[in-house]
Amino acid sequence: MKNETVALGPNQVVGAPVPRPQRSASVQTYIPEIAKGLGITMKHFFQNTKEMAFGQRNDPVLEGIEDGINCISYPEQKRPYPARFRGVHRLTQREDGAPRCVACLCCSTACPAQCIHIEAGEYPEGDPRRGYERFPKRFVIDELRCIFCGFCVEACPVDAIRMDTGVHAAPYDSREQFIFEKDILMGFPGRDGSRLTGNSRHEPGEGGHPGVDRDKH
Amino acid sequence: MPNFKLDDREIPFEPGETIIRAAQKAGIDIPHYCWHAGLSVAANCRMCLVELMPPPGRPAMLLDVLAWDKIKQEYLPQKKPKLVPSCQQAAADGMVVKSQTSEHVDVARASVQELLLLNHPVDCPICDQAGECRLQDYWLEHQGTKKRMRDEPVHKPKAVVFGPTIVYDAERCIVCTRCVRVSDELAKDPVLSVRERGNLNEIVVAPGRQLDHPYTLMTEYVCPVGALTSIDFRFKARVWFLRSRRTVCVGCATGCNSFSDFDPRDQKVYRYRPRENLAVNKFWMCDDGMLDYRRIHEGRVLEARVAGRPATVAAALATAAQLLVAAGPASTAVVLSAEHSNEDNFALLSLAKSLGFSDIYQSGRPAGQGDDILRHPDKNPNSAGVAALGKASGLKSFVELVEAIRAGKASTVIALGSATPTGSGAAALAEVRSLIAIATHEGAVVDRASVVLPASSWAEADGTFVNAKGMSQESERAIHPHGSSQPAFRLISELAALLGKPLGWKKLTELRAAMAPAAPRSVAPDSASLGAE
Repeated sequence: MKNETVALGPNQVVGAPVPRPQRSASVQTYIPEIAKGLGITMKHFFQNTKEMAFGQRNDPVLEGIEDGINCISYPEQKRPYPARFRGVHRLTQREDGAPRCVACLCCSTACPAQCIHIEAGEYPEGDPRRGYERFPKRFVIDELRCIFCGFCVEACPVDAIRMDTGVHAAPYDSREQFIFEKDILMGFPGRDGSRLTGNSRHEPGEGGHPGVDRDKH
Repeated sequence: MPNFKLDDREIPFEPGETIIRAAQKAGIDIPHYCWHAGLSVAANCRMCLVELMPPPGRPAMLLDVLAWDKIKQEYLPQKKPKLVPSCQQAAADGMVVKSQTSEHVDVARASVQELLLLNHPVDCPICDQAGECRLQDYWLEHQGTKKRMRDEPVHKPKAVVFGPTIVYDAERCIVCTRCVRVSDELAKDPVLSVRERGNLNEIVVAPGRQLDHPYTLMTEYVCPVGALTSIDFRFKARVWFLRSRRTVCVGCATGCNSFSDFDPRDQKVYRYRPRENLAVNKFWMCDDGMLDYRRIHEGRVLEARVAGRPATVAAALATAAQLLVAAGPASTAVVLSAEHSNEDNFALLSLAKSLGFSDIYQSGRPAGQGDDILRHPDKNPNSAGVAALGKASGLKSFVELVEAIRAGKASTVIALGSATPTGSGAAALAEVRSLIAIATHEGAVVDRASVVLPASSWAEADGTFVNAKGMSQESERAIHPHGSSQPAFRLISELAALLGKPLGWKKLTELRAAMAPAAPRSVAPDSASLGAE
């Protein structure tokens, strides 16, 4: 009985019979189903209108988890990105506002998309950082070419480049606007609002750095 | 040839040769900092220590040492064989040397590395030597441990300007004295010396002097670490982006063998490095030659010109063909150039022959300063090659060309090369009615030309150059031709095709086959480059 096969129809097709839909008037006219669908739409419409009118809108993230309304009004409202979201790059700064970057080109070496261009410069004679550091005369990232893999952040030996701005590259209308120069990159704050580097290395001339001690001997 | 045994290999050597040099010739690189094949032996870095096995039947020379015992956590007396520096030890027949297979050598090398890195600032990211630094290489091969010293390292002067070409960083220096010996022995100008002792020592320039002899960049080239850096190359590029081609320096008639290091992404040459050739330049190059790469990118003619206005190469070639047809053989002079390779000159000579031009002259750059080390007073790379090629055609000097122009015998000139040997020669060119210049650089010739055809420089085309000793050397193409320039032999071949006298070859190999009878090649012995120093 369980494995019994029944040949059906004039062609003796073997298989389980499919139940035919009910061809009642209510099914064939579609009207009750249209009314049902519109009902759901109207339910959401009134609920949204009520929430907007009374300011009862829930947190979009919690809303996403719960049942119910999942709409947010992008771009006025945005879903918050996760804590480790890789957004557009920023260059961190020292306390005096200079870029922390030492133009070592480790990031552009690691970059699989080859979107980072750096020209290294040297501090002039007499500057306490001369010999200890170099700085980027130019630091350019092509955000259109970038694949946001984060390798540059991993490669940086001095915590000069980060992707913790929490914003993605905005849609511009020309290619040139995606070429971010040093001043733009240094202008972005991190998500915590800080522009400072987390690199704790002491600098020549600052407390903790012994400086040249040849003359002491 | 006598042999000695290094680890598992039999190494042949010439009597008097040291172990390290014989091994290097056999392709084995014994780790070293202070030794250089072209310099005297200092034996101060102690990195090349090897273990010499005692002769059969004799006891090994053993030293009493205290060795740290990890399990007992104390120093215990032990015996250790006396190691010898392989850079100083002359090889002897039947000698048995242990380098990689000796545990004592392993320990010694790791200890030397640890000592050298004790006060070394680990600033590899901002150091130009990173990527070709022996401290990095040997740390990976022989040490591989973290720094144990917790004290602040000794600080010394950084970025000290030694002269117009060299900057010195005393903290990175391991005081191998290679730079001191280059100044003493190669440049014969003992301007560098070592100051202080122990971990305070550093290289200094003699008081009242600068490091400004003609071979200063060799001090940077031999520096095994990032202590000496070239002001010219400093911070320009990271070495791991660069690729090398085997080229010949075109700065003078010595024809030093070099590597052209270029970045394939921006098609730019960033520096030259000497390439070892004991028959020509040994291990060295002069500063003028080392910095001559800049001419590849400076003052170049990159677009064709007709009557001083920019034109396409095709239009310039058509105009040149018209001028040559109009002129006729009697009033046309053909100028070969000692600046250009045999290939370019042979092409122009073939064109002259097929058109029946018989007045062949030679041009080139003016003579300059020379010395008895490397620099030759003739600043053209291929004077000997042009002389050999043009011998059968009655090659005449540039002075005779000036006379012919003044006498009105040469109203049309087709000239290869950008420079003239004399200033008055350049003035004479202004009197030529139609001057067709096939040139790489702006200058006297291009300024006076009716038609300018942009030729590729030596870095953008393969070429053969014959040096003052008569040795024919091939230089490889490094980068793609800039602008709309093309190799001069290709421009000449196209010009010949326009004139209805095709030269019978298309590819470089075909050109070289056609050229072989005219320019018999006495190829310079190109000793395989030993070690990428």
